[in-house]
This record gives sequence, structure tokens and C-alpha cells, in this order.
Amino acid sequence: MNTKIPKKIRATLLLPLIALLFCQIGILQAQDNQTITGTVKSEENDQPLPGVSITVQKTGKGTTTDINGHYQIKATSADTLIFHFVGYHEQHVAADHSPLDIALQNASNLLGDVVVVGYGTEKKEVVTGAIGTVKSKDFVKGAVKDAAQLITGKVAGLSVSSSTGDPTEGTEIMLRGISTLMSSTAPLILIDGIPGDLKTVAPEDIASVDVLKDGSAAAIYGTRATNGVILITTKQFNKNQSKLQYDGYVSVQTIAKRPEFLDAADYRRLIKDGVAYTDYGTSTDWFGAISRTPVSHTHNFLLQGGNAQTNYTANINYSNWQGLLKRSNNANLRANFDINHAMFNDKVKIHLNAIMSKRKYWTGGDGYSFNTYIYRQALIRNPTDSIRHADGSFVTRDGYFYDNPVALLEGVDGENTEKELRLNGSITYQPITSLIFKLLASDNSWMQTRGYATNSSYPSNDANGWGKSYASRGQSNTEDHLLEFTANYDKAFGAHHINILGGYSYQDAMAEGFWENNWYFPTDVYGYNNMGAGDALSEGSAGMGSSKGEYKLIGFFGRLNYNYAEKYLFMASLRREGSSKFGKNYRWGMFPAVSAGWRISQEDFLKSSKVIDDLKLRIGFGITGTAPSDNYDALTTLNYGDRFLYNGNWVQGLSPTRNPNPNLRWEQKEEYNIGVDFSLFNHFVSGSIDAYRRNTKDMLYDYPVPVPPYLYSTILANVGQMRNEGLEVLLNFNPVTTKDFAWNSGVTFSTNKNTLVSINNDEFNLTQDWFTAGYTGEPIQTYTHRVQVGQPIGNFYGWKSVGIDEDGVWKILNKDNEVISIKDATEEDKRVLGNGLPKYYLSWNNTFRYKQFDLSINMHGAFDYQVLDFLRLFYENPRNAQYNMLKSAFNKVYNTAQLDYDLSYVSYYVENGDYWKIDNITLGYTLPLKNKKTFSSARIYASGLNLVTLTGYKGIDPEVNRSGLAPGNDDRDKYPTTRTFTLGVNLTF
Amino acid sequence: MKPLNILYKGLLLAGILTVTTNCTKLDVTDYSEIISDNFNPTADDVASIIAPVYISFRPMWADWYGNFDLQEESADAIVTPVRPNGWYDGGTYIRMHQHLWTPTEGQPETLWYNCFNGINAANRVLSQIESGELPITDGKEAIVAEMKVARDFCYYELMDNFGNVPIVTDFTSNDLPQQSTRKEVYDFLISELKENIPLLSDEVSSKTYGRFNQWAGYSLLAKIYLNAQVYTGTAAWQDCIDACDKVINSGKYILESDYKSNFITENENSQELIFTVPYDETKAPGFIIHMKTLKPADQKVYNLQAQPWGGSCAVPQFIHTYDPDDSRLADSWISGPQITPEGEVAIDYIDSLINIDQAGGNPFNYGYPIGKYEIKMGAKGSLSNDFPIFRYADILMMKAECLLRTGKADEAATLVTQVRQRDFKSNPAKATVTGADLQKGSVYDYGYVKNGKIVTDEGGADIQYGRFYDELGWEFAAEAHRRQDMIRFGVYSTKMWFQHKPVGTYRTLFSIPESVLNSNSNLKQNPGY
Repeated sequence: MNTKIPKKIRATLLLPLIALLFCQIGILQAQDNQTITGTVKSEENDQPLPGVSITVQKTGKGTTTDINGHYQIKATSADTLIFHFVGYHEQHVAADHSPLDIALQNASNLLGDVVVVGYGTEKKEVVTGAIGTVKSKDFVKGAVKDAAQLITGKVAGLSVSSSTGDPTEGTEIMLRGISTLMSSTAPLILIDGIPGDLKTVAPEDIASVDVLKDGSAAAIYGTRATNGVILITTKQFNKNQSKLQYDGYVSVQTIAKRPEFLDAADYRRLIKDGVAYTDYGTSTDWFGAISRTPVSHTHNFLLQGGNAQTNYTANINYSNWQGLLKRSNNANLRANFDINHAMFNDKVKIHLNAIMSKRKYWTGGDGYSFNTYIYRQALIRNPTDSIRHADGSFVTRDGYFYDNPVALLEGVDGENTEKELRLNGSITYQPITSLIFKLLASDNSWMQTRGYATNSSYPSNDANGWGKSYASRGQSNTEDHLLEFTANYDKAFGAHHINILGGYSYQDAMAEGFWENNWYFPTDVYGYNNMGAGDALSEGSAGMGSSKGEYKLIGFFGRLNYNYAEKYLFMASLRREGSSKFGKNYRWGMFPAVSAGWRISQEDFLKSSKVIDDLKLRIGFGITGTAPSDNYDALTTLNYGDRFLYNGNWVQGLSPTRNPNPNLRWEQKEEYNIGVDFSLFNHFVSGSIDAYRRNTKDMLYDYPVPVPPYLYSTILANVGQMRNEGLEVLLNFNPVTTKDFAWNSGVTFSTNKNTLVSINNDEFNLTQDWFTAGYTGEPIQTYTHRVQVGQPIGNFYGWKSVGIDEDGVWKILNKDNEVISIKDATEEDKRVLGNGLPKYYLSWNNTFRYKQFDLSINMHGAFDYQVLDFLRLFYENPRNAQYNMLKSAFNKVYNTAQLDYDLSYVSYYVENGDYWKIDNITLGYTLPLKNKKTFSSARIYASGLNLVTLTGYKGIDPEVNRSGLAPGNDDRDKYPTTRTFTLGVNLTF
Repeated sequence: MKPLNILYKGLLLAGILTVTTNCTKLDVTDYSEIISDNFNPTADDVASIIAPVYISFRPMWADWYGNFDLQEESADAIVTPVRPNGWYDGGTYIRMHQHLWTPTEGQPETLWYNCFNGINAANRVLSQIESGELPITDGKEAIVAEMKVARDFCYYELMDNFGNVPIVTDFTSNDLPQQSTRKEVYDFLISELKENIPLLSDEVSSKTYGRFNQWAGYSLLAKIYLNAQVYTGTAAWQDCIDACDKVINSGKYILESDYKSNFITENENSQELIFTVPYDETKAPGFIIHMKTLKPADQKVYNLQAQPWGGSCAVPQFIHTYDPDDSRLADSWISGPQITPEGEVAIDYIDSLINIDQAGGNPFNYGYPIGKYEIKMGAKGSLSNDFPIFRYADILMMKAECLLRTGKADEAATLVTQVRQRDFKSNPAKATVTGADLQKGSVYDYGYVKNGKIVTDEGGADIQYGRFYDELGWEFAAEAHRRQDMIRFGVYSTKMWFQHKPVGTYRTLFSIPESVLNSNSNLKQNPGY
């Protein structure tokens, strides 16, 4: 054993890990003094590390690596060499052979890193806010959809869920619970400091992701920061790293779990039993007819070169993904070019960057990816029916919302194309070492072109009155300009270190759109490419529209960081921000933050501690905001619209568009955070614990108001209050690090308690302290959730079923807890049936390295929450023999009788969602290259995503939509989630 | 290096100055919305500015959850039973039929908001005129009167359906409105109408079509007087007759020789129509009664450009009241085989329903669909027929009812006979009714139906002036009159029909929508709810 952990403690800590420690057997062979040579490289990118210190443990004699990472040292074979380099795990290796090459592991999970913060970076030691950092080596591997999926389960308090299998959709993220009623819960995403989204750059192009979690860290971003800030840093040129790197992979997918509907044999059996199904005489696997085993591939080329003065990074990424459901796909081409140039003795630095991307995907819906109505039709279609007649035409049947899914799939064609161009540049001027001015400008433009058309085989052409075909085209453009000027003064005066940042930020954004549709085309050959050819236009039925809007956001900000000997830490920041979206009475807001830290481990009484390597206490407070989403909500605006018959002519009326609100302003969130960062037992275990309380005030909501005096029945106003309290734990274990074997393990845990505090204020007063949310859809047509003061968001609200009578009618509890028939149930009998938001999130991530092999296993789970299983709600009822249903529909309910009642929303369909997923397993092998002339490194790997789910939930996947006010609704038309298997290579030339 | 240093410092400084002086302005441009501060109306904008008042009438009547549904589905002539393609819809049609609606029911709520949208729009125009913001050079008085009468029309609907509603006439006030009693709303309406009707245009032309002229105003006044006893407890039969006489004596309207002229696609040419809500299939959509009553198979019959959803139909007991020689039966309801242009039978309608909540639905061909409003070949999802609110036959029948109720049955019979003349061409003698006839009971076979059969038979013989009540049913079937007439004749909350049983007299008023009570603590729910 080479680790420095005291024996007793080691025993306690390593007990659960013991099995894996067998690998750790040192070789002890006495030999004479010898010269050991070798190369030290970074494990992460296989680049040589200059300046690594190497000491002989016994004697304390040492050396350092040269510019090429080479070293030479004298030692006996009984000696142990210590390899030490800042930012990397220390390694202790027996000096028993030569050459002795070492790959040092980046220690990003330890204190000692640089953390990206708002408008700059900070040493992790002196950070006082709650910030989660994940470096590329710790990313989730395999067929990753977006930047958030890279860090699934890696940042405590950041929930990342993949609630759809649609290849065009990304992940859904939520930080520290729901803190709003209707505003976006999406965090601010900055790509190298410039606003973007999780898909702006390819996952392979990302070097690190930093998450500013608490108000004190995020407040410098003002009204964009309530949901946290995710800072994405793309791969940058490092010293002497000229290289070409290729990463590529191919993946296939299968459905996570296929719902079990009746097949043709079941139909025939049930018909014999007297069920009123129709037997059309054939057998069709309808789901099989619209699904496939999709094959996707991704290729990433990274080219870097230059020197310290002038260098470039170019990343080109192409991915072509297929979806599980036929025809759904997503092809992306993304390029990121980056040039740095330093001049005048490095006093002036210029950075130029261009990101270009193109995205193309099939649209089966009018303007959107896959129309999941097709999936619904495949589930409910009669399995004894055929897809086509003998003549090749589609079989159609009468029925309400009952269409041939294959005809729906093949009866349409559409494509969305998106192009994005992001140009930005900055100039940094450093007149003296301690002072840096930076001017940054960026211009982002995005364009989407949509086309969609049905052909004559589309089954709903007639029902919609479209003749042979319908077509639509649309376009959306956005432009976003950002100009930022910052000045940063950084200076140490003895043990006093101060850093002052001041800045100004100007952003304007424009969005415009155009769309048109037409039908009665003479042929369906044109598709959507000859829009004028349809007769609906000349008839006056075709539609057309366009819109344009803009907003401005201007901020002044400043921040002071002070520390004394990296022991006592202090930060204060202030942003004054104005937005054109705010009402005229509240144009500008102030967003202050303050935080402090105490590195107890720097105190004399702990400095010599063998147990504590680092210990820091943090406390912070910050105010952030959320701006209303629409540009003109505060203003009285008018629009022409519906027509009025005026003297024989239809004249357009002019009406106000909304209730104006001159007091409209940002939602304000005040957040307290207290945390501790620690590293113990020579970095054997490190981590952070954070507790927070966030109070949202002036919460935006479309508030019900009386008509009159108001024009419309709702007004967007700042009224409610919400509270979230929670605890987050991040633990990183570093049990074993040797030349041949290493094991890292990380655990995150988080819990959050949400309470709606109020939905009333002096100006707006509701007589009810609740409102409803969520919707079942036809034919049940009721709400699913109730949002109530004093309660958390996400409460399912309906009738509590307790049994079923002999006639198959639900028995429910009434408001006095007496059992009654659902036929006599009233609104008053409804109650809370569960909550759709998990109370606890847990993840456990492990990485192993054994010689040339590497293995990572990521697991995560969510606990103590409920899911409303819409598949069962709609299809586990044998009453309507028009549609296919789940096999379980004919099971006895509550072991009493078969159900014989209209579809009803009762607690029977609200299930516990708790799950534990083995989400990602990746096994890699790095080829031991003898000749590095062509490749400097090569690795192959196999990976699986969403592999195993341990859950009692009966639906497809318990990881369902958690956003909005109706979380936990597992929509019956949801694009099914998938399991992905990937094979890939990483090559560096 | 020095000069360059200075140059850079200078550039940066210039940058800072540019930034700080120019870029603190938060003004934005209105592109696809008109920011009202930037809009100054002129006299040319009057049509566009008064338009929202009348536009609110379209969703109020023949559209989804319109007043048509509210007045008919709660009454005894039309029902929306469960069908093979749905129409359970959370039980809302069943509750409407059985008078078990809740304060969250969509149909009453929709009417409430549509009415107050109209009222708000009228108040806004009145305030703009008053403040001079909307400069009107000619005919200011008539416009003001028209806005007030249009507003009164909305208040009349509110008084009729909800009774105790707030009266708001001041657009500029932001106070939470106070509730008025039904009697107060009645008094307000009578005084406003008396004051403003004479100021309205007396012209009957395309200029006043679909708008309130004097005669539409008097029709509204007559309607309110006709139901005065329901609204206030005190009848106003003679006032009603006086208002009707104003219209009759104007000589501007006639009974069309063909009943159907009032309901055809181009019914704007009917000289019988006094006030309508105009619709147009493309420019002013919202007439969707055909979509809700025709079945999917009917698409081929009319070569429709949209597939009908199939739902509501006649209550069989109501159909049984018709005299077989009365052409209004065939003019109001669709029955028997429906033939496509290719000569195929698309569907064959029979006069029968099983149960309103029949598992699997009542077959599509059960129950006669509404055929009153012409469905032209190739019609769209919305019809161009204008919805009749007041027509001359209504004036004559209102007067007849008042005469009947004030002991002048024979005079009443003359008017009823006049209206019936066009409906018995195959047997003209049947058109004539006597005063004695009108005082008979109703032929409606009231009673509860189960599995398609009447199981509790009550009949209608005990209904006073039941025969006149039946006349109203035949003449104004599917014109959103039935609920009001049933209440006035005391049937609404006492009789059983199809699967409706009496619930209570309080159901003659709808409950005030929950969302309305929630946002205005001054309002109290109607008694009984």
C-alpha cells in the first residue's frame, strides 16, 4: 500500500471498496542504484508535461521534467518515486524499472483548479460561491445529445433528464428545484462568455462545464441568472499541443421498454370470449411498422497548432443521427474556429472566433420533428388489420382519431433547416501586469427554414378539406448583438490580494418570423416547393403571417474579491440592469451579491494536519432576476384582427392585444447559500456540501383579473412568492492511483423542498389560494395537478381510488374519507394524490483504469416522487373496443373485477416513480503504440447509455418531464426513450 | 512601444465613451404590434375601433361553446349524446342536459367572457369618444347610442343567463366591479334602451345590417319586456306589445314567403331579419353548428371541405311534437337517408336515441341533426349563414304571446296563423289556429327515457298556453330561444325530457363562473349553487 492514509481510517473507508484493491500489489525486488528515465504525460490528452517534480521518497532528492516531459533520476529499485504536479493527482511509483513512463491524472475534482466564474476565472481555493465544475475527462461518454447530458449526475443539485427519445430534442435541466410559476427554468448558457444554448457547440468540442449554482455566484448576470449559469468552455490551444485529433463513434438504439399491447392472437382469443373487437384477418405489428433499429454516427476533428504568440483551434463536428421511430433524424454540422494572437510583449491579445453550424432534420409534423400522434396510432391500431390493400393503397377505417400510422408516416414530408453563425472577437489590453481591459463584441444570427407537405396518401387530407395535399413554409430569424467592456485589476499587497472587476454590457436581440400555408394543389409532386400552386390561396383560405420584435438588455456591473493569505476570502458584486421588457415604472433593477469564505485548513492549527488537506467554509447571499419572456408585455399595444361587417365590407377591427402592466418587472430571487469544501486524507476524499434557501418574490404569473375593469381575464403581473430549500453533497473518492490501476469515484446527492408561499399581494387578490395545472386530454378532459399556497409545486390532484365494485366501477374516497362510487364523486372529493417532483436525487460515478483499459460506470436515481402513467390511464381500460389497449386492461383491478367504466383520472394510475439507473457504462482500451509516428495515441471504446433501470414504475421510463407546473405527467404520446449502444475511437495524430 | 500604448489607451477610452453615452436607452421599436402611444386615431378609424364590439358577438353565438349550445343543450329540443367518436368530453354535455353544470363549466363561462368582452369594447369606444381621443365629426350621437345599445344587448344576455351581474359603464375606472341584482340590471337596461333607441338610425340597409338600428333596439326592448316577469317578478306585457308595434308599424320588415330564406347561406337578403350576427366562411368564421351536428359520413353528402365531428341532434320527444304536414320539421331537421352526389347513401338518420351516456356511443345515425341552416355544397368548416337574433316572426310571436296572456287569445291566434301560413303548403287549412287552440296544453310527451323508451311519462297537457309554447318550439327550433321560452312557460325546471330530471328552480340561472368569483371578491355566487 502506497497511500498515506493512516491505517485505522483506511480500514474504515476502504471496507466497501476492498474487492477492487486486490489489484494493488506492489512488486518489491531489491536492486542496486540505477538511473531511471521516462516521460511524464497528462493522462487526459497524452501530452508531455514539463515541470513535473519527481522526488525519491526516502532521500528527498529530486528533479523535474524537461520541456518534452522527459526526466532522469537515480534511485534503487526499493525506492519509491513521487511524481507531483499542480493540478494533477500525485503518484507514488516503485522505481523498479526503466524507462518508467507515467501518465498523471488531472485532479479536477480536487481543490487546486481554476474555476470559471462570471467574467473571469478564479482559483478554486478562493471561490466563495457554490460552483460545480466538470472537466472533459469526467464527462458522460457515448452518444451524448448535448452539453447537459455530458454532466448528468456530476453536479449536485443540477437535475438533467432525458425525457424523450426524439433525436432533435436535448435534455431537460433544472437547478435547485422549480423557482417560478411560468418563467423559463432554463439556466443562462454562456459559450466562452457569449450567450448560446446547450447545443451550440458539439459535446466533443467542450473542455469544461462550470455551473454557477447559488445567487452569490450568479448575481453578476442579473436578470438572466435565477436558474443558474452554465459556463461552457470550448477546447483551447495549450502550450505545445499542435495536433489533429479524431473522435468518432457509431451507435444503435433500442426502445427503453416496449409497452405490451394486444396482438392479433390476443384479439382473436378475446373475440371468442365475447369482446367486441373486429377481426380483419391478418396480423400486423404496428409498432414494428413505424420503428427501426436506428444507426447514428458522429465524427469530430480537432486541429490545433501554433505557438504561444499565435495559435489556432479548429473543431469540426458532423453527426447524423437516426431516431427510433422511422424517418425521424437529426444531422448536424458544426465548426468552431478560434484564433489567438498576442502582440506587443503580450500586452495586447486578440481573440477571434467563429462558430458555424447547420442542422437538418425531417419533420413529420407541421414545423416540428416527429408527429407523435403517429406513435399513438401505432399503439391503438387493430393488430388484425393490414397496412395496405393488395393494390398498394393504404387501408383506412372510420373512427375518431383513428388513422393508419404508416399512412400518416409516409403521407407527409418535411424538413427543417437551421443555420447559425456566431462571430465574435475580443481585444485584451494589459498595460501593466495587474490591469486588464477587455472589449468583446459578438454577433449571433440564427435562421430556420421550415417546409412541410402532405401527399395524396395522407389520411387526413379529406377530413381537413385539403384536396390532394397541404403544404406550409416558414422561416424564423434571430439576431443577437452583444458588446461588453470590462476592466480588471488584480494585485497582491503582501498577504492581501484584491481583484476588482468593472464592466458594462449591452445586448440587443431581434426575432422575426414568416409563415404561409396553402392547399388544393393540382398535384402532390410539388410538396412544399411551389407554394403558389395551391388554389386555397386564390380562394382566400390560405394562411400567411409574419412578426418581428426586439428587446434590449443593458447592464453595469462590478465585483470586488479580496483575500488575506488565501485564508479569509470575501466577494461582493453588484449589477444594475435595465431591460426594455420591463414596465415604465420599473426599468432598472439592482442585483447585489456578497459572499465570504474561510479556509480553515490554512490556519496554523490545521496546517500540519495529516487528515485535512483542505477545508473551506463558504457563505453567500445574492439577488438574481428573471425577465418576462415576451418583448412587449408591459406595453399597451393594438393589433388589427377579426373583421366586422361595415356597410357591406368586412373591415378589420383594432383591439388592444393584452392588459398592459406598467409595473411589470423582473421576478426576484434572493438566495442564501452556506457550504463547505474539503479534501481529506491526502485527497483520498474530497467534496462539497451546500445548503441553500432561495426565495422568489414578485413572481410572474398570468394573473386572473376581473373583466372589466381589465380587458382580458389575465394580466402578466409580479405577484407570488415561492421558496426552495435544499441540501447538496458532492463526494469524490480517489481510492487507488497507481501506474497500472486507478479508481475514482464520485457521489452526488441533492434534496429540495419547494413551497408556494403566496399568490396574492395588495394589488391582486384571488379568493382561491389555488389553481389547477396539467391536462389529461380527450376524452377525460380534466386537470391533473393543483398548485396551492403552502404546498409544493407538482401535486397530483384527483380522486383517490380504493377499490372497484362488482360492476367494474371505481370506488373512491369522498371528502369525509367514506368509500363512495365514482358516479357520486364531486369536485370536493378530490385530493392530493402524490407529487411529480423527486425529493432526492443520487448519483454514483466510477472510473477505473487498469493498464490500457479504462472503464466508467455512471449511475443515477431519483426518489420519492410519483408519475401519472398516461399509457395505463388511457389504454388499461377494456371498455372501448374501437382501439387497441394494453394486455393488462383485462386484468382484475384491485383483484376484484375487470374495469367497466369510462376512462377516469384516479389515483390507481399515479405510480411511484423511484428509480436507479445504470445510465452509462463505457469500456475503453488505449492501444499500446510502439511506433508513434502516425498516431500519438489511439483508443477504442464501447459505451451504453440508459442501460438498466431498476424501478417499480410500469410505464416506459420513469424519467419523465419535470418542468412546468404539471411535472410527472408521462404523456401517452411521448416519443419513447431509448437505450443506446456505441462503438467509438479516439485518435490523435 | 510608447506611442502605440497611447494609441491603444486612446482607442479604449473612445470605446468606453461611445458605450456609456449611447447605450443606456431601453426604447424599442414596434414592428408587428402597434404601440398605442404611437397611434392617433382619426375619423377614418371609427369602423375599426367600433368593430371589436360586434366582433365579440360571433364567438358569443354560433361558435364552440357559444350561446347556441348554452340555450339549446340545457333545453328539451337538442342534446349531445355520447357517440362512437367520443362526445363524452369529461361529461360536460351530460351535465348540460341534466342541469348539473358546475361553476367551472365551459359553456356558461364562455358566454360570460364573450359578453363582457363586448361590454369592455363598447366602454372603451365610449371613453375614447368622450375624451376626444377618437375624433368623430358626423353622427357622434348615433355612434354613442349604438355602442350603448350593443352594450345593452350583452347585459341582456348576462341578465338572462346569470341574473346578478356587475354593471360597468366607465372604462377608466380600475375598481373591482360591484354586483347588481337582476332587477337592477333590468332597470338599467330599460332606462338605457328607452333613452338611446330613438337616437339610433332608422334606416334598414346594408349600412345598418348586422348593427343596431332603431328596430333592432325595439326588438331587444320587447324581448326584455316579454321576460320581465321572470327577471323582476312583474310582467310588462303591454310594454312588450308597444315595443313590437314600433317595429310592426315601421313597415320595414315582412314575413318571408319561404321560411328557409331566413336560414340560407345568403340570408342577409331576407327582409324578415331585423338583427343578425353576420358570419363569413373565410373572412368572419365561427358558424360551426353544422360541424357539431353532422356526422363524419355527411362530408360526402355536402362535399364538405372539412370532416364534421358528429355529435348533437334533436331530442326525439321534441321531433314527435311536429305536425307531419308542418314543413318546418323538414326545414329544421335532417332525417332519413342522406344521398351523396354519386347517388350513394352515406347515412340514414332515424329519430331515436338510446342513452345519453351509452357505452360505445349512440350510433351516428341516431337522432336528427340540425338542418335549419343551409349547408351549401362544398361548405367549409365555418358557414357564411348569418345567425338570426331577431326576426319579424319573433316580433309577431312576442306580440301574440302578450295578447294571449292578457286575455286576447283570438287576436293572438290571428298573428300565429299569419306566421304559420307559409308552413302548410301541402295542407293550407292546417295553418289556421284559433284562440282556443292556443290555450290548450303542450303536445310534448315529457317523460324520462331509458334505453330509448319513455319510462316515466308526464306529458305536457298541464302546461298553460302549452300550444303556444309548442308554436314557439316549431317556429324557433335551433335558434337559441328554447331555454328562455321553457323558463317563461314554467317547464324548464319542472319537466323530464330524454334523460333530464328536474333539479331545482335555481337552475334557471347559470352559476357564475368560478374563475370570475376567484378574481373578484365582490361577487357572490347565485343562490342554490
